Parts: sequence; structure tokens; C-alpha cells
Amino acid sequence: MDTLINVAHGFGVALLPVNLLYCFIGVFIGTLVGVLPGIGPISAMSLLLPVTLSGTPESGIIMMAGIYYGSMYGGSTTSILVNIPGEAASVVTCIDGHQMAKQGRAGPALGISAFGSFMAGTFALIALMLVAPKLASVAIAFGPAEYFSLMVLGLVVLTFLTQGSMPKALLMACIGVVLGLIGLDSITAQPRLTFGRMELIDGIGLVPVVMGLFGVAEVLLNTEQAIKRDVINTRITHLLPTREDWRASAGPVGRGTILGFFLGILPGGGAVVASFASYALEKRLSKTPERFGHGAIEGVAGPESANNAAAGGAFIPLMTLGIPPNVVMALLLGAFVIHGLQPGPLLITQNPGLFWGIVASMYIGNVMLLILNLPMIGMWVQLLKLPYNILFPLIILFTILGVYCSSNNVFDVYVMIAFGIIGYFMRKLGYEPAPLVLAFVLGPMMENNLRKSLILSQGDLWTFVQRPISGVCLAFAIMLLVAPLLPSLRKKRELVALDEGA
Amino acid sequence: MTNQTNVKLRLNNSELWGGVIGLALGGFVIWSGMKLKLGTINDPGSGYVLFYTGILMCVFAGAIIVSAVTEGGPTLASRWENVRWSKPLLLIACLVAFSVALEPLGFLLSSIPLMLLLLRLIDPVRWTLAIPIAVLVPSGMWWALKRLLLIQLPSGLFGIG
Repeated sequence: MDTLINVAHGFGVALLPVNLLYCFIGVFIGTLVGVLPGIGPISAMSLLLPVTLSGTPESGIIMMAGIYYGSMYGGSTTSILVNIPGEAASVVTCIDGHQMAKQGRAGPALGISAFGSFMAGTFALIALMLVAPKLASVAIAFGPAEYFSLMVLGLVVLTFLTQGSMPKALLMACIGVVLGLIGLDSITAQPRLTFGRMELIDGIGLVPVVMGLFGVAEVLLNTEQAIKRDVINTRITHLLPTREDWRASAGPVGRGTILGFFLGILPGGGAVVASFASYALEKRLSKTPERFGHGAIEGVAGPESANNAAAGGAFIPLMTLGIPPNVVMALLLGAFVIHGLQPGPLLITQNPGLFWGIVASMYIGNVMLLILNLPMIGMWVQLLKLPYNILFPLIILFTILGVYCSSNNVFDVYVMIAFGIIGYFMRKLGYEPAPLVLAFVLGPMMENNLRKSLILSQGDLWTFVQRPISGVCLAFAIMLLVAPLLPSLRKKRELVALDEGA
Repeated sequence: MTNQTNVKLRLNNSELWGGVIGLALGGFVIWSGMKLKLGTINDPGSGYVLFYTGILMCVFAGAIIVSAVTEGGPTLASRWENVRWSKPLLLIACLVAFSVALEPLGFLLSSIPLMLLLLRLIDPVRWTLAIPIAVLVPSGMWWALKRLLLIQLPSGLFGIG
């Protein structure tokens, strides 16, 4: 009953005209960045982070969340019609989605992708409503040791799932921690690694780092090759899947939704892992696995549902524990912090309007996305024809403006350009930026919790092992660190490893 | 990968260089941590986490170097094989030039040439399209930010913008 009252309260907040407008802007921009290759939800969210300052916390966070789950919808359009993933979570949709389009079945592919996404998104929201308050009440009992160990686990999971060698990913995570610690020490107020520059006293901003590593570096990489787009030119019809399509897709949508939701909750996991895992699962369960890769609708329905369910599930650790499980959630944490809010176990009780308003807005956003992605598909197809040589200078200009507006400081533009160049060389040498960014956000929190738990336990390191939740998290982290040393597990890791940053 | 592009104990092994840079960074972080004071395990100081993170960085960089020496790795040149390496280089040069010009010239006078260069140098867009985009987009953004969002962009020594 309490949940229903809270949901009604949430809809009261989400249905305010201003919040509806922000929600629409969020899902529209999300679909836009999902459709356009070369700019992902991370770049778009960091670009719009300063805009959240102009409204209430609810409006800003509703818009940011809309960009995230909106990009999951939009990404599939590009994958199906152009065979270029609009964002990383749609990589797997290219395999069967584009084959379907080539066979003249772009309509059902887009349709099942949108309906599957809608159903998965709806399930994830209902589960979020039910799970988050329960988990938040448990999380109140978490001490600094638990928080520290959980963050270590999150970072290790992400490094485990990142493409390339694990030592490289771990080195990136360590560099991220060091970058996060630049500025005044939160306990002793001593400046660290500031090199005498006043601009570094408050540390390096998240926005210039993310925009540089993901926005500018991505453009630099894209300019290396002339991007050719093989846009499906035939008119897109029959968006509503047939009864046969539904019969084939019902199982994949259901399984993808549940798998995606749980993978989304896990720290370090997220939409990308979920889509790959769902595709592998469907191929394994299929009686005709040879159809996969040649236009099997199950290969679109499963992953698209999984990535949307994961996008919803990823809100749980952020809202209940205050720990972002992936880079996108780290940016959302930035939006909370800008408004002086701290997500965590007390958020739901202290700011019920905010929490339930965001949850309700996500449901409204899902309905908006269904309308945006089905009847208005023609508009997005036209947009796909925008040449990249016109698009990338605009992306560069928007990143410069976004970074400058976030702090009104030219120094941040320099930081972004520097990180863009560093990010380009990192990617060329096979170093992924995702662990660096997550560690950059978690680093200061990890340090704070580590030092607090050492002070509280009077230097007893066993405190991390003796406390059950902390001990379990560290045990999992150690298992994942050791796993790549075993040849059979190394192969499995390579199969699921992914480029979270794209 | 051919023998030409996958080398073990050669100076052009890109993996080796990645590890060496990581090791150097790790050494610097350890030194910075020690300079900031480590404190004790009961009361960790400002450099405590930095110091141990630096050690971890050296361990991981060491693992990268060992793997580069024992298993080999692609050469630096092979990383830029079959790609238009001059294009990102041009883009980097434009961005560096823009960052140098931004404060003295201001946003408008630095971003219009930047846009024109990007539109013409990488994958050339015809002049009749490049010039209007290069002029109208930064000017439009400048106007929207200044008038609608009341954000003052750098106006430079000439006070334009």
C-alpha cells in the first residue's frame, strides 16, 4: 500500500508540466545521441550536466535519466538501418537487426526492438520500485568498510569486463583513483598534486575528463577512417510485428528483461554486458542457432530488452547505496552532487518526492520513447543521412561549449583537450577509458571510506574481512582478479569483454 | 599479426612503451605520496592512498612489461597502419591552436576559424556550405548562451563576444 501511495506521489511530481518538458527533452536528446554514431549518452549527459543547474533537482535528474534510457532506444535504430551501433549497448543488435533490414524486414526489427525495450523498461521500473526501498533500509547498516569493499568490487568487475588485458584495465583504474585525489585532502585539507595551480585546488572536473576521454577522443578515432554509411533506403513499413514474430520474441524478451535487470544492478555491469549476455543465451537456447547472424528476430528482441532492463536496474545501486555502478551513473551522481544531494540509503526517506518522481518520470519517458521511436521513425532515418564530416565539427564545438559552461572556466577547456589527446593515444594503445572514469569518481569516496574504517578499527585490516558483506565483496573481487590467470576463464573473459566506452 | 608488426624485445614494441609510461607514472605517484606524508595505519595521512596506489600502478605496469617481453606486442607503427593518421594529427593541431587562441581572441574569433578548419581540412565540405556553418553555428550558440542562458563566453583582448 505504501508503495502505491509513493508511486502516486511520484506521478504527481513527474506530471508537473516543467518535469514533463524536461523528461521529453531528455528522451528526445537520448534518442538523438543514440541514433547518431560517434556521440553516446556519456558525452551528451556531460554536455548537458550544466543545464541541470537551471531548474529544480527533479527536473535536471529526470532529464539526465531520460538521456540514458532514451539512448538505449535510439541506438537500435542505427544498428538496424546502418549497421553502425549508435552506442555500445546496441553493438550486438547490428548482427541480426541489419540482416533483417537487408531482407526487407526493417519494420518488424525496429518494432520488436521498441516494444521489447518498452516492456523491459516497464519491468525494470516496477522492480526498481519494489527493490530499492528494501535495499535502502538494509544499506543503512553499511559502514565505511562495506562501502570501500563494494567500490573495490565494482571497479574490479568493470576492469574484468573491459576489453584488452586486465593489467591495462587495472592500471587505468589506478590512474583514475590518482586523478580523483587531485585537490584538497577532504580530511586534512592539504593540497595534493596541484603543482601550485589554483585551478587544481578543487580537483579536476568530471565533465572535462569525460568529454575529453569519450567525446574528443572518439572524434579523433573516427576521423582516422572515412565513415561510410549503408543506410537502408527502402520505405519502412509494418512496424508492428506479426503474430509469428511475437511468438518467436516472447521468450527472448522475457529472459532478456530478467537477465538485463540483474546484470544492471551488479556494480561494474550495465547495459552493454546485458545485451551481449542475452544474445549468447538466446543463441544457446535456440533450436536453430544457425539462423543467428542471418536475421533472427530473437537476436534483436533479447539484447534490446536486456539493455533497457539493465539501464533501469543500474539506478538501484546509485539510489540506494550512492555507488554508481557504471560511468553513466557516475555522471548522474554528478548531477545529484551539483544540487547538493547525496544519493544513498537516506535519499528515499529524506527526498521521497525526488526518488519517486524520477521513477515515475521514467515510466512516462518510456511511453514517450515508444511514440518517438515508432511513428516518428522517418525523422530519425533522415537524420542518419547527415554526413559525419559536418557532424564532427559540431560535436567538437558542443563539447567545448559544454565544458566551458559547466564551470565558466577556460582551464577546463584545456583539460578537456588534453584528455581528448591522451584518450586518443590510450585507445590506440589498447587502454580503455571506462575504468579510469569510474575510478576517478569512486577514488575520493574509496579513500575516505578506507581511512575512516582504518581509524575506526584502529588500524586493524581484518575489519574488511570480518564484516560479512565486506568480506564477500572482497572475496568476489579477488576471484575476478585471479580468474584471468586460468586459461579457460581467460577465454570466457575475452568472449564477454567489451568496449564500455563507445 | 605478422612478425613485422608483432615484436618482443624491440624498442618499437608499443606494449613495452605503454608499460614503461605506466611504471614512470607509478614511480611519480609513490614519490608524491611519500612527500605528502603517509601517516600510520591507525591514522593514515594525505599521501597514504596515493603511495599504495602508486605501488599497485608499478605492479600492473610491471605485468604489462613482462607480457610485452615474453609474449611480444604490436609495433608502434602497426597501430597506425591502414588508417588516415594525418587526419587526427591535423585535428589535434587545430585543437591546440584553438586552446592557445581562446583566451586572447575570445570565443567567436577563435571558434569560427576552428570550425572552418575542421570542415575543410579533414573530409573537405564544399566552401558554400562550410562558410555558413562555420559562421552561423558558433554565432548562434554564442547568442543563445549570452541572451537566453546569460552565460558570458570569453570575449578576448578585443572584447568581441
